Amino acid sequence: MSSSPTRADEGGPVKAGGTKADDVEPPDRMSGGGDLMDVTMPQMGVSVAEGTVVAWRVEPGDRIEAETTICEISTDKIDTEVPSPASGVVAEILVPIGETVEVGTVMARIATGDGSGASPPQPLDGEAAGPSITETKSSSPSPAPAARNGDRRYSPVVQRIAAEHGIDLSQVPGTGRGGRVRKQDVLAFVDTSPVEEPPLHIESPYRPEPVAPVSDGGQLSRMRRQIGEHMKRSLDTAATCTTWIEVDMARVEVARKRLGVTGLAFVARACIDGIREHPALNAWLEGDRYTRHTDVNLGIAVSLGDDGLIVPVIPRAHELSVEGIAARVKDIARRARSRQLTPDDVQGGTFTITNPGQYGSIMATPIINQPQVAILDFEAVIKRAVVITDADGNDSIAIRPMTILGLSWDHRALDGAVAAQFLATVKRNLESVS
Amino acid sequence: MPTLTYLQAISSALRDELRADPRVLLMGEDIGVFGGAFKVTDGFVDEFGTDRVMDTPLAESGIIGTAIGAAVVGMRPVCEMQFSDFISCGFDQLVNVAGKMHYRQGLAVPITVRLPSGGGFSGGPFHSQNPEAWFMHSPGIKVVAPSTAEDAKGLLHAAIRDPNPVCYMEHKHLYRRVKGEVPSGVFETPFTARVARAGADLAVITYGAMVPVALEATEDVDGASIEVLDLRSLVPLDEAAILDSVERCSKVVIVDEANATCAAGAQVAALIAEKGFESLDGPVVRVATPDVPIPFSPPLEAAILPGVERVREACRELLAY
Repeated sequence: MSSSPTRADEGGPVKAGGTKADDVEPPDRMSGGGDLMDVTMPQMGVSVAEGTVVAWRVEPGDRIEAETTICEISTDKIDTEVPSPASGVVAEILVPIGETVEVGTVMARIATGDGSGASPPQPLDGEAAGPSITETKSSSPSPAPAARNGDRRYSPVVQRIAAEHGIDLSQVPGTGRGGRVRKQDVLAFVDTSPVEEPPLHIESPYRPEPVAPVSDGGQLSRMRRQIGEHMKRSLDTAATCTTWIEVDMARVEVARKRLGVTGLAFVARACIDGIREHPALNAWLEGDRYTRHTDVNLGIAVSLGDDGLIVPVIPRAHELSVEGIAARVKDIARRARSRQLTPDDVQGGTFTITNPGQYGSIMATPIINQPQVAILDFEAVIKRAVVITDADGNDSIAIRPMTILGLSWDHRALDGAVAAQFLATVKRNLESVS
Repeated sequence: MPTLTYLQAISSALRDELRADPRVLLMGEDIGVFGGAFKVTDGFVDEFGTDRVMDTPLAESGIIGTAIGAAVVGMRPVCEMQFSDFISCGFDQLVNVAGKMHYRQGLAVPITVRLPSGGGFSGGPFHSQNPEAWFMHSPGIKVVAPSTAEDAKGLLHAAIRDPNPVCYMEHKHLYRRVKGEVPSGVFETPFTARVARAGADLAVITYGAMVPVALEATEDVDGASIEVLDLRSLVPLDEAAILDSVERCSKVVIVDEANATCAAGAQVAALIAEKGFESLDGPVVRVATPDVPIPFSPPLEAAILPGVERVREACRELLAY
């Protein structure tokens, strides 16, 4: 949604002034007499120059409302939906499904102006046509008029509450002036929405594709093919070894309940601290070129259910507290599942954590996310009878919540001692959480 | 607890300090035999004598300069400006000598300057001003402004006992209109803000004579829950209390009786913009006197001073935002 191209019918007070769309829109965005709106291939992050049309949701002649999805597009990293820049009738579709075009290419045109192709509304006579909207009574203490509804702006507190609860503000009805979303509106929305953020690994609403009969396998999806290519390439490239360590999670369990966050956030923080002592793991190996990174850009594998898996990155995760990491994980997981990630969200990772433990599995051999040199696997925390030794050296058997952390690492870049030392550091960090 | 007017509370604090501490002395124009223009020191000269309740010439610079000298050698003088407007004649002594003495020479200047301030009685441009912001802008001087009888006494005790020069803004309009229970004897009110009424939907931040105005204006604005924060102290400014109100209420109306530009409320607004931004759900709204002299004419004066209606309307507008 970051780049809806242009906007012709915002509604609201500007109309009264007769400020027509073609007075304010850049001329190159408009074609013809000002009642055709271009739908262009959006810029989805700094690194992307082109995209592929995957599906059209409309046909020429269909009526479409502004901000509803007009088509689906795909880049090599991300699939997303393109919102219509205006309400109107689809005049023509210029890019067929499957074609790849550069950012900015016109993909379709929409006839605005009430669907009839009529000319835009004429300016009204009299004072309404004047520049009066820019003049406000200077002595009045009144706040400035609220943002127009079609171009919603949100106050800092509203945006903060929405971010904390993972709310899509466009879904929140506004009761403020001009339909503005006020603090009480977003709080009321929080109250009525399902509060529980679903855990990371659940069946995802990512793409409700029509499911073919199970017996008919059919072709792999784009995403499955891409995952397959990446995984196979990693195994063909890296000298992958996996090392495990057992960790007593008793302190983490207490702390995470107190903070209301997941164990993953603690494991992530412990890894970041471990990387500080063993920076060899926070690196890229590309051919013979080995690059250590100062920043920890932490990749978190997010399952999209049957659709596959994506690894969004938390940049500069070393600057975040456990709570901060938890909030960011929640945010990227939500955006991953609602297909709101941009290509920038999934690149630049320097270390990855995968966390598929909710079904009770205890060990895995994760595949390294190239060109990184290590990936940590965090599985289920399970109560076990373990031998513990007290301060006087007496052994006893106790019930402790245990987990097994698995680190896959690239033997081309480092040796097993470093991996083992790193895991020992992570274990120490987790067992000394306060 | 006795019920005192705001003015009686000020008298009570002065009397208690004079009785408790031989270093305390009062200086001012007509405060002795005449008992003060507003009768704050009525009868004082009989109890404490002319050495401790000193009538001075009409020379504010001399009053404050003398007080500074007395303070440096260990006295605790309290100067009365007959009207706060007249402080401009003593400006150099207060701002440049008293305010910077500790910085320059390490000497404490424990003087209190009482400033009967504010309008609302057709006093015109020389007898109605609220000059507190002049001193907020000048390092080395504390500025306090009570709105209740209890705070009038407690803040004056604290001001007299403070080792720094303190401008004590006493609002003339409150002198006889505000009454309240006031503890007997010496007690010090901290230089912090006070929640005059707790609320959740909007906070009115103000001080001095605008506190009762804000309370009346927001008694019932369409049923909204409106907080009123009484700053009480302008220097130091209670940032934590302000930001706490902003965080809880997210909408803020700031009311000054002073002229709007660079008023205390402007500083509060700047603080909120810088440190409370993430909590805001609307623009920070200010209600203040426009940048004009205070007129003699009662209708004109009523038109420019912030009143109940203007504050209520500002709240209503912001609530709807």
